[in-house]
Amino acid sequence: MKDGKSFLRNVIGEYMTELGRLNDKVVLVNADLAGTCRNTDFTEQYPDRSFNVGIAEQNMVSFGAGLAAEGFVPYVFSMAPFLTMRACEQCRTDVAYGNRKVRMIGTYAGVSGGISGATHWAIEDCGIMTSIPGIHVFEVSDANQARNLMKYSLESDMPMYVRCGVEPTMNIYREDIEVEAGGSIEVKSGFDGVILCAGVLVQFAIEAANRIEMKTGKSIRVVDMYSLKPLDRQAVISAAKTGRVVVAQDHNVIGGLGSMTAVVIAEEGIKTKFKIIGVKDEFVAMAHAPYLYQYYGMDADGLESAMMSLFE
Amino acid sequence: MKKDDLIYLEKAAMDIRINLLRLCNKEVIHIGGDLSVADVMTVLWQYQMKYDPDNITDENRDRFVLSKGHASAVTCFNQAAIGCYSAEDVINEYATDHGRFSMHSCNLVNPYVEISTGSLGHGMPVACGMAAALRMKGNVTSRVYTVMGDGEQAEGSIWEAVANAKRYKLGNLVAIVDCNGLEADGKIDEITGLGNIADKYRAFGWNVVEIDGNNIAEIKKTFDELPASDSEIPTAIIAHTIKGKGVSFMENEKRWHAGKISDEQLKECINTLEKAFESRFKG
Repeated sequence: MKDGKSFLRNVIGEYMTELGRLNDKVVLVNADLAGTCRNTDFTEQYPDRSFNVGIAEQNMVSFGAGLAAEGFVPYVFSMAPFLTMRACEQCRTDVAYGNRKVRMIGTYAGVSGGISGATHWAIEDCGIMTSIPGIHVFEVSDANQARNLMKYSLESDMPMYVRCGVEPTMNIYREDIEVEAGGSIEVKSGFDGVILCAGVLVQFAIEAANRIEMKTGKSIRVVDMYSLKPLDRQAVISAAKTGRVVVAQDHNVIGGLGSMTAVVIAEEGIKTKFKIIGVKDEFVAMAHAPYLYQYYGMDADGLESAMMSLFE
Repeated sequence: MKKDDLIYLEKAAMDIRINLLRLCNKEVIHIGGDLSVADVMTVLWQYQMKYDPDNITDENRDRFVLSKGHASAVTCFNQAAIGCYSAEDVINEYATDHGRFSMHSCNLVNPYVEISTGSLGHGMPVACGMAAALRMKGNVTSRVYTVMGDGEQAEGSIWEAVANAKRYKLGNLVAIVDCNGLEADGKIDEITGLGNIADKYRAFGWNVVEIDGNNIAEIKKTFDELPASDSEIPTAIIAHTIKGKGVSFMENEKRWHAGKISDEQLKECINTLEKAFESRFKG
């Protein structure tokens, strides 16, 4: 924690030791990114339950599926782009099709990989992973939420993908914040428009909503859609009924949260103004993450003007 | 006749081939690769593996992962031979909607399938994870057997797992490569540049045994002489086989990677197999 902010990959990585204590079937599999994924507390405390397969993400996921087939609960860590793209078919066939209780944890979500370049961004992972049958997909926005989601991951039997970025996030929730598959959290109430968001962008959405309220008196709801799949349909329906929906996502504008939200609204036949904010279906070679949040209109300024444009 | 009797196993392998051909008369199956690995699979399932169909969750059972997932038919018939179901079940239900048996196999519908496979290069890495899991559980008696194709060796994920199995000292892992020399599009040597597969496993520090994979006695002897399951070096059995083995018009013919045979061909094939068996063992 730093100035009321947290680094979620640290939170998740460090919480692994607690999961290891809670359940002796918990094992960790990494592909030479134990440091990056903040797994070293666990690997030092539980060396016999830690595997580092080397720079071999496909093998990492298949190996995890094999451990799960034998009754262990593997937490497979990598950067989100390598986990979900290099090892995509392993996630899909060995984990999802095999229905294995594997927890796939991807850091460097969205453009948080920033200056490392688009090789290290994960802007397709939400589209990819939500399109795979039989897995649940989550994105965390806050430290307490991240810890509670990790705890929830022990209870659920579903294959699971969790993404988190590397940029700091504001501490939003209390320790007892509830998380579950299909859930969402109304972070701020409001009736004139809704920002549906996830992950690192939740803090920007809160700021944008507060500013709009202060400047115009319009009340803007902010909903943390941390469960991308299953998606909380009721939260989407309720948002659409206000007539103004901005979806803010740290991934490509095609696929993932915005696309899934649009489908719900279309299926329900609700008339609403609607805007998706995300990576504009393009690569930027290399740039810092905060710059990219501004560039793509994902930051508070961008979300404020996106929502205000729906009032025009 | 006891199951460790060579003639018993020869007869069992012939029965597997006859069942494969009966199925191949009804449906398109991957007959070439089923026939090449039929002898290995017969000795593995009907002699070598500790596997009780009445107690399939027994922790001390041996595990089997069909990495060359398209050899599902030869697996099903061997499972039938040990009592998981009947050969008629396999023939009647194969390739039916929502059926237990098809072109590849799936653990969601068939409890005797440990791991769903079909896409190549997956089974072997999963088998590595299972072998490591057995070690973590303190299970020193079970082995994990996986059967791959030689064409499958072109998948990079295989070599990720090969290095990994050595590093994690998985002496309880036995990887069998059915080297029939052909893949769907033709000769492996002309397509992949894989070269000597056995040497590659040796280079990774594995225990490597090269055998005639269509010789029942040699297969049985190889299994009899496997290093102990609690040893630390994984074993690769490089089984040199003939694709389509036992059916003259299919042998070494890429066109019989998958296919279907006529009633007449079936009759002729069974007749040939039975005569060959009689002349070898009853003469």
